[in-house]
Amino acid sequence: MLSVQARGAQIIAAKVTHDALPHVLGDFIRIAPDGEVLFQFIKHEMGQGVSTAMAQILCEELKADWDRVKIQFPVVDLPTYENDRNGGYGTGGSCTLIYTYDVLRTAGAAARQMLQAAAAAHWSVPVEECRAENHWILHAPSGRRASYGELAPLAARLEVPSEVELQDPKSFTIIGTPRAAKLIPQIVTGQLIYGMDVRLPGMLYAVIARCPIFKGKLKRYDARRALKVKGVRHVFTTQPIAGLQFTSFLPHDIREGVVVVADSTWAAIKGREALEIEWDEGPNGRLGSADFERLAAERALHRTDPTGFIGDANAVADMARVRKTLRASYIYPHQLHSCMETLNCTAHVREDGCEIWLGSQSAGMVVEELQKLLGLPQEKITMHMLPSGGGFGRRAYTDMAVEAAFISRQAGNVPVKMLWTREDDQQCNLVHLFQHMEYQAALDEHDRLYALYEKELRTYTWAERYANPSLPRMAYDIPNLRYDFEDLIDEEIIHSSAWRGVDVHGRALSECFIDEIAAALERDPYEFRLSMLTPGRLVDLGTDAPLSADRMRNVLTLAAEKAGWGTALPEGRGRGIALVPYAQTCCCAIAEVTVREGALTVDRMTVAIDCGKVVNPSGAHQQIVGGIVWSLTALLYGGVPIRNGRVMHSNFHENRLLRMNECPPIDVHLVQTTEERPFGLGEMSAPLAVPAVLNAIYAATGKRIRRIPVTREMLAATG
Amino acid sequence: MKVKLSVNDRIYHLDVDDPAMPLLWALRDLIGLTGTKYGCGIGQCGACTVHVDGAAVRSCSIPISALEDRAVTTIEGLSPDGSHPLQRAWQAHDVPQCGYCQAGQIMAAAAFLAHNPKPSPEEVTQAMSGNLCRCGTYPRIHAAIMNVVRKSSAGSHE
Repeated sequence: MLSVQARGAQIIAAKVTHDALPHVLGDFIRIAPDGEVLFQFIKHEMGQGVSTAMAQILCEELKADWDRVKIQFPVVDLPTYENDRNGGYGTGGSCTLIYTYDVLRTAGAAARQMLQAAAAAHWSVPVEECRAENHWILHAPSGRRASYGELAPLAARLEVPSEVELQDPKSFTIIGTPRAAKLIPQIVTGQLIYGMDVRLPGMLYAVIARCPIFKGKLKRYDARRALKVKGVRHVFTTQPIAGLQFTSFLPHDIREGVVVVADSTWAAIKGREALEIEWDEGPNGRLGSADFERLAAERALHRTDPTGFIGDANAVADMARVRKTLRASYIYPHQLHSCMETLNCTAHVREDGCEIWLGSQSAGMVVEELQKLLGLPQEKITMHMLPSGGGFGRRAYTDMAVEAAFISRQAGNVPVKMLWTREDDQQCNLVHLFQHMEYQAALDEHDRLYALYEKELRTYTWAERYANPSLPRMAYDIPNLRYDFEDLIDEEIIHSSAWRGVDVHGRALSECFIDEIAAALERDPYEFRLSMLTPGRLVDLGTDAPLSADRMRNVLTLAAEKAGWGTALPEGRGRGIALVPYAQTCCCAIAEVTVREGALTVDRMTVAIDCGKVVNPSGAHQQIVGGIVWSLTALLYGGVPIRNGRVMHSNFHENRLLRMNECPPIDVHLVQTTEERPFGLGEMSAPLAVPAVLNAIYAATGKRIRRIPVTREMLAATG
Repeated sequence: MKVKLSVNDRIYHLDVDDPAMPLLWALRDLIGLTGTKYGCGIGQCGACTVHVDGAAVRSCSIPISALEDRAVTTIEGLSPDGSHPLQRAWQAHDVPQCGYCQAGQIMAAAAFLAHNPKPSPEEVTQAMSGNLCRCGTYPRIHAAIMNVVRKSSAGSHE
């Protein structure tokens, strides 16, 4: 049992989950005696809004009063939920609603039927006569009614039904209606407990001086001055956990370093400043971004066997058919996640068990890693899942948990909160994978796009998952399409990871190359795209479901209509399109920009999106806007410049994020869809703004920019 | 060293090793008011914004030794029950995503509106451009503030 000295209601609630079993109705639902429905939320809430959307799905089928549904963050229960029909704890890939939609509807309906059955038994009437409505079970023939709170203890004794009757989607009143996020009252009063906010009796605070160079090592350190800083308790190295790679699915980098444990965060930071450390830089200490990009560009010219192709794999070189060829290279460089809540984890390791507090996208892997680190069985590891101040893929990794647990044990089995400062976050972190995209196009004698060749060079960590990359997700009707792939894992000078949008960012740059082809053919970029989207065509790319050219046409035409495509713009202004499928979701963005005297202004972004069934239109709108802001930051300020192995940026004054005065109006249009199910949404708009704005810069200036961030120098050179 | 700190109308007597400790860490680690967030530590992001004698201050960048006889207000003390017009507008406009920066956003907006209750939309944008939000809630923050401005101009307390 935990002993949290907390104001956090969710932590206290987690503590009593098992004591309250009489109130648990099937999966995910507890109903308190006062009738409050306590949704036992097992995913990770990091701002993508799934806690609210999932509650909506559950509430709809439960026929509960929305205002009496609360979200709770229970202790992680892997035996029950990991890797079973509930979809587990893993939160990422924009998959949460895709996988939990049916599960939650079923769970809500099951609990509702249990309440109906409990009422029927209590009143000795047929269950068919007991109707659920807005937190009540009603018996019309007798006029009796009972509240969910009254019935819950009776209902909880019943078997969870194995078959349930779901509602007709036409009768939905909660799914599909905009709902404010459930956690807002706690957020706006400062009461929501993030991982960073956990406090335990006797807790110490730790920061780590990590090697600033990827794969570098600790040569020697002197802790004497650090130990004289008031409040500093311990100084020791993290060498025993450095470079640990417990799972092959997500091999990760824990950098060697020296940890300072103190009475307060401030004392730990001051103690770290007083450390004297010498690093063994290794070969990466001589390398920088320019070396890495040169290597990628050289590799881009290799011809390997195709990873995949449609038609003739060598069509770009078929000189009997080809009239003209085009080629271009695009770069999407490394990026920082910059979660506003820096990484942190609180751990208390004892001889016989471990308790940790963490906001994580991968609870299952965290527990697995801690088992291996500590040599404990799963049931001895108690993990408290907390919401986080942004995940964006970075919190899918387990390093912060391994660090915190190691420190807690090494410091004498005391509770320790380990946190990363913003400087750590920028200088020693995992980053977005680097992508170099090499394109070739061949036009035939009828000026048709006869063949398209795409070669991708990418750094990544998911060796297993991406061992067999698929064809470009392109709905365009191109007779010959070829895709080659090479990785740059071993050559990495910084560690790559998942970053909101993952590999789609680089591959969405094909939309710039499509624009180049349209320009070479003197075709309108909108008309050109539409002409290659054959109505009714389903494109089988060897992935889970074919891509529908019709759905792509829909978002393209809607965005064009809303953005006023084709209407005249003054000198120095232009519009650009990006049409990008992302899993089953179809997205189109149109950027409108002004380029004047080497200065770029994004005047407006128009986005049309078909993401299947929308559970929460307010949350959906937020995710789309958020993704655009995300990519505008990458476009204007992104990149992780490295010199002599060291990241040159240290904090937000150097690695800038988009601010309100730079944020353009962003118009979002959801395509009316007949889809019964939600597709993903959290990452879908994130790859859009970069290609759309680069194409708009071309429209405004007539010159191509083929990498980000877009600098004044690049714009001046285009003038 | 003993430091007397007034936070949300309560007096705290703190025993600190280092008078240069920023207010942020005193609030979070010593007093236990964790609504004020760490974001950058150098006054760049605004997540740690609090009020000192009514003015918005980056708590990461002010030492507690500078706060004797001054009144600190944190997000926990902005209103007794979350009913400040900005807190209500944040709910009505469904502003937060992850929510981590929002205490700082609200504190910045509250201090700004207290001194300039009828700003133009452009003035709101400029006033709020010191606060970062990685999730991209800027359009909704702006809309929520303008809604408060409109309602106060109309003389309504809703």
